Parts: sequence; C-alpha cells; structure tokens
Amino acid sequence: MAENVIDISNLKKYFAEVKALDGINFSVKKGIIFGMLGPNGAGKTTTIETMTGLYQRDEGEISILGLDPERSLKTLQKKMGVQLQSPSLFPRLKVVEILNLFASFYQNPLKISNVLSQIGLQNKKDSWVKKLSGGQKHRLAVGLAMISNGELIFLDEPTTGLDPQARQDLWNVIKNLKAEGKTVFLTTHYMDEAQKLCDDLVILDKGKIIAHGSPEKLINDYFKDRVIELEDMGLNNSFKERIKKEVFYNRLSFEEKKGHVLLYSDQIDKTLKSLFQLADNYERELNDVVIRKATLEDVFLKITGREYRDEAV
Amino acid sequence: MKLFKEVFIANIKELLRDKSGMFWLVAFPVIFVFIFGLIFTGNTGQQSYTIGLVLEGSSVINNNIEKVLLKNPSFNIRKGSQEEEVNALQEGKRELVIIIPEIGFDLNSQYDIQILYNRDLNGTANIIISSLKEIFYSIERRLTEQTELFNIRPEAIQAKTLSDFDYILPGILAMAILQLGLFGSFQFLNLREKGIIRGLGVTPLSRSVILSSEILMRLIIALIQTILIVFLGKWLFDVQITGNLLQVFGIVIIGALSFISLGYMLITFADSMESGRGIVQVVQFPMLFLSGIFFPVEFFPSYIKPIIKALPLTYLGNALREVMVGIPAQTTMQRNIIILLLWTLVTLVLTIKFWKWE
Repeated sequence: MAENVIDISNLKKYFAEVKALDGINFSVKKGIIFGMLGPNGAGKTTTIETMTGLYQRDEGEISILGLDPERSLKTLQKKMGVQLQSPSLFPRLKVVEILNLFASFYQNPLKISNVLSQIGLQNKKDSWVKKLSGGQKHRLAVGLAMISNGELIFLDEPTTGLDPQARQDLWNVIKNLKAEGKTVFLTTHYMDEAQKLCDDLVILDKGKIIAHGSPEKLINDYFKDRVIELEDMGLNNSFKERIKKEVFYNRLSFEEKKGHVLLYSDQIDKTLKSLFQLADNYERELNDVVIRKATLEDVFLKITGREYRDEAV
Repeated sequence: MKLFKEVFIANIKELLRDKSGMFWLVAFPVIFVFIFGLIFTGNTGQQSYTIGLVLEGSSVINNNIEKVLLKNPSFNIRKGSQEEEVNALQEGKRELVIIIPEIGFDLNSQYDIQILYNRDLNGTANIIISSLKEIFYSIERRLTEQTELFNIRPEAIQAKTLSDFDYILPGILAMAILQLGLFGSFQFLNLREKGIIRGLGVTPLSRSVILSSEILMRLIIALIQTILIVFLGKWLFDVQITGNLLQVFGIVIIGALSFISLGYMLITFADSMESGRGIVQVVQFPMLFLSGIFFPVEFFPSYIKPIIKALPLTYLGNALREVMVGIPAQTTMQRNIIILLLWTLVTLVLTIKFWKWE
C-alpha cells in the first residue's frame, strides 16, 4: 500500500445550519499533485482550513502526515506549508524581507534566492509587499508556503485572478514542487488547471464529493463521447429544429450564452455525416466546426446536470 | 525568542516606512508643543488696570493725588470728564472710574470719593479698590500729619513662576500616550479584519508573538515621544522640568500600559475597522476634554466631577504634571499610580475575556 499523506474520512463541517462539508472521504498519496475542483461555495476552502487546523471539524477523521490537526497542530505547522489568503502581514516589508521572516519560522527552510527565482520575483525582491500587483502577491503567497520546505504544501486557488502567462508560470512552480518529491494539495475552480496539473482529483459540489479519480479516468468514466461544437450564428430556429430531428447524437445542448451548439456523440463519423448531409440539403454553410475530447466541464455538466459556473473572483 | 526578535524587527521596519503613521507618532506631538507653546508662553508679566480719573478741581491736593496715582505701575490712568469716563467704563474700556471732588485745605470737612465699576468685574474691582484705599489713606495721613504706625514694605522675592504652558506640556505628553494606546490598536484590528491573524494559524508563528511585539514597540515609541516632548518644552519654551527623567519614564510606561490595554479592550468590541474607529473616537474625545490635561477642571459643574474622577487620563495628567513640572495634584502620586494600574488590570481582564483573534 502506498503511503498516504492525507486521509480524510466522513468529514463534516457545519456553519450554523449550513452543511459546508457533508461527509467527504478521500486519501492523498505521497508525491502527487492532488486537486480539489469545484465551483465557488462548494466547500473547497473549508476543506483546506479544516485540514490545516483553522476550523474544528464537527465529525469524521482527519490524518495529515499521520497527525490529527486538532491534537498535534504545533508539530504539523512545522511540517507543512500553506498558502496564506494574503501575504500582507507587514505591507511595508520588502519581498525578500517577508520571505526571510517566514524562513525564520522553520527549522530547515528553502533558500530565499531559490524561492525568489521559482516564483519569478527576483526583480521585485526589494519592492514592498503592498506595491506588488495582485498576481505578484499571489505568487509571493505561494512562495511563503514553499519556504517552509515542508513535505506537504497546501495551495488554495493559487492561480485565481492571474493572467494566462502568470498562471503558466505558477503551474511550472507547482510541477517543480512535485519533482522535488513534495505532495501538493490544491484547490481550483479552473477545469483546465485541474486537468493539466493533477494526478488525482476530486470534484466537490455543495459539500459533497461527486467524482474521484485521475482527470483521464473521470473523463473516460463519465464521458467517452466526443464533442462537436458548432457556431450558433446564422442558424435559425427551424434549422436548429432539424438538427434536433435529423442529426445523430447522444446528447444535444444549445449554449445560448456562449453561442454554441454542442453535440455529444460516441459515433463521431455518423454524427458528422448526418450533420453535413443536413447542411447540404438545405444549402447551409457550417462555420467553425470544432471536434474535441470531453473536458471536466462536460463531466461536471453530466454529473450535476448544471452548467459549471466558472465565476472567477 | 528568536521568532520574537524577527517579528519585532519586522515591526520596526514596518513602522519606520509608514510615513503617515510616523507623522502621527512623532510630528503630531511636536506640532502640538509648538502651537501651545507659542500661544501660552507670551508675556504673562504684571497686570495693569486701566482707570478713569475724573478731577473736579485742581487744588494742590487734587494734583498730588493725580501724581501718586500716575506713579503707580499697576494703574494705567486716563483723565477725562465724568461723562467721557463713565461712557468709557460702560463700553468696557475702563476697569474702574474714580471721581474726586475739589479738595480744599479745610481738613475738617469730609470729601466723597466716588468709585464706579462694572458689577460683573467685582473681583478685579475689589483688588483695585483695596489698593486705592491704601493710597488714599497714606495721602490722608500725610495731610493730617499723623505718624504712620505701620510702614508696609512689600518685598518681592525671586520664586519659580509657572506659566500656563507648564501646565499644558505634561498634558500634551498624556494626550500622546492616550492616542498611542487607543489608535495603536487599529494595527491589530486591521490584521484581524483582513484575516491575516487567522491565516497565521497555519504557520509556526504564534499570534501572541505578533501581539507582544506590537506592545513592546509601542512602549518604546512612548519613551521616544516623552524625550521629544520634554526636551522641546525645555529648550524652546523654557519649561522648568523639575522631576528626573527616570521618574517621568516610569509614569509614562505605567500610563502607556493602561491605554494600550484599554485600546485592545475597545477593539474586542469592534467587528470592523469602521466600528473600531467609532468606538475609539467616542472614548478618546470626551476623555481629552474632561481629564483636565489642558486646563484645570475645578470650574466644571459638580455633576461631571465623578466622571472626571473615574477617567484614567485624569490621573496620568496629574502624575505627569507633578513629576515633570512640580505642579502638585489634588490626588497623591500613590493614588495616581494605583488608579492607573487598576485601569490596566480591569481592561486587561475584560480584554482577555472577550478577546477575538479572528
């Protein structure tokens, strides 16, 4: 049996009458990037904060590095690194100074220069924390989690609000952590992030785990279908009706907001043939036909029947 | 201990780089010393009274009386007709008007010397009248050639003169300590409100280290403010500092502890930065005026006196005034210190009871 770094069983956490976590179970193996995916308000942050001792659980068992955070928090604090919500403990401290300060909390911290280069803030090392941009503060917060050199790193939505380049950079940092043998637990509400980074993944919705597995496994289990996306523009309602009746598909969805028609199908050639046949018969041109694999977003849609609300904060 | 040192150094850097914070802590008390110093150390020398003199005759004796009055340095004599002088009195331009009839050499008759004064200035008038009486009796004795039984010889001795500013300077220090204690608690309130204190729960840094380094920091600032205020007062405005600096430091530390504790107690009842500001303002503003740190409270109505007696700032002001410039308070030093310590104890207990880290 592979060593588990985190073992969570039947974890429950209530806030007054609200069931923030309604009996969740999962384990995290050593040395992987474990992702918890879910829309805002699903309970991701509550999970992290209960695991790291900021909340007391109402029910269930938690084992982090073999320790119960409610009983051995002091020991645990030295062995883990957790990304803080905001690094602005001392807003007028320089980046290098706050890293030094946090390094002094731990017995065997990483080298400051090493962390600075990983989070890409070398040229900002003498800037005050408060003068950093949102993305830079985010990266610093991840740096403060890394500097502990703990074997387990918790990252709570580390890339929320970052521009694409900064996200890419941070993904590389997270992959590096794994390469160094550390275990990373991260929450995200980006489907693509979970798909690209995570070895193992749970999908959390309304305080419950609704799916668990590697991204590939989840897509395979729940969604062997391919997806054909059509541009909605220029398709009138009668033509849409005909698609409904005359084209082969397993599931059809009109995404008015995105201006897409989605055709899910397990026999892609049959679907395409009937689609082009229809277009031919009515002398229609089909613009921007895209064929792709299903994504976690499609998985989410299929499991919950709700569209995934990707509301970046 | 190593953690405490690191956090304390971070705290110092944070403070030194916060320009507006530094302004409130350093420049503000300094500006206060300047403003009050310039206002209250003006010429507080001898007071002179403007007196209207109406002479209804010009006999030798009348002229003599005039000469004697003119020689008196306390009197600023204006001569005029009765009508002019009474008008001037009514307009408030004279403290008092003396009307002297023609005084002949008939020493057996009696002459009425009329003195008119503003009823509202009873006290001042009495002082002037008694010295006028003195002058007239001495003239009378000379005229009637009675030997003087008493020769009153006023003699001035050099004594310490206290200006209003001597009273105010310790008050400025007391105010600075009050504000340091109360407003200083916002730093923690801010960290608490932003969830930063809570977030630290995932690191080995104990939250009490943050708090204790803040407190030590503020005690040091209090001492720096003391040095600034004492030396500015002494060098620029010639305030006689009678006490020794170590005693002043002792009182400052005791006072700072009680207001730091009060500040933390107040923010335990605040759930946001705004409500914190509100609560602190409500407490500090009346305290500034009722504690008598800038002016004596003797003339406050009696129903306010119990409040004044309950305020810690009253006792800090009393203690600092006694120890810095030697103005004894109505309360003993022992009482001042005990009441400040009691305030510290009570607010500390309440703070611990209701304290919120998050």
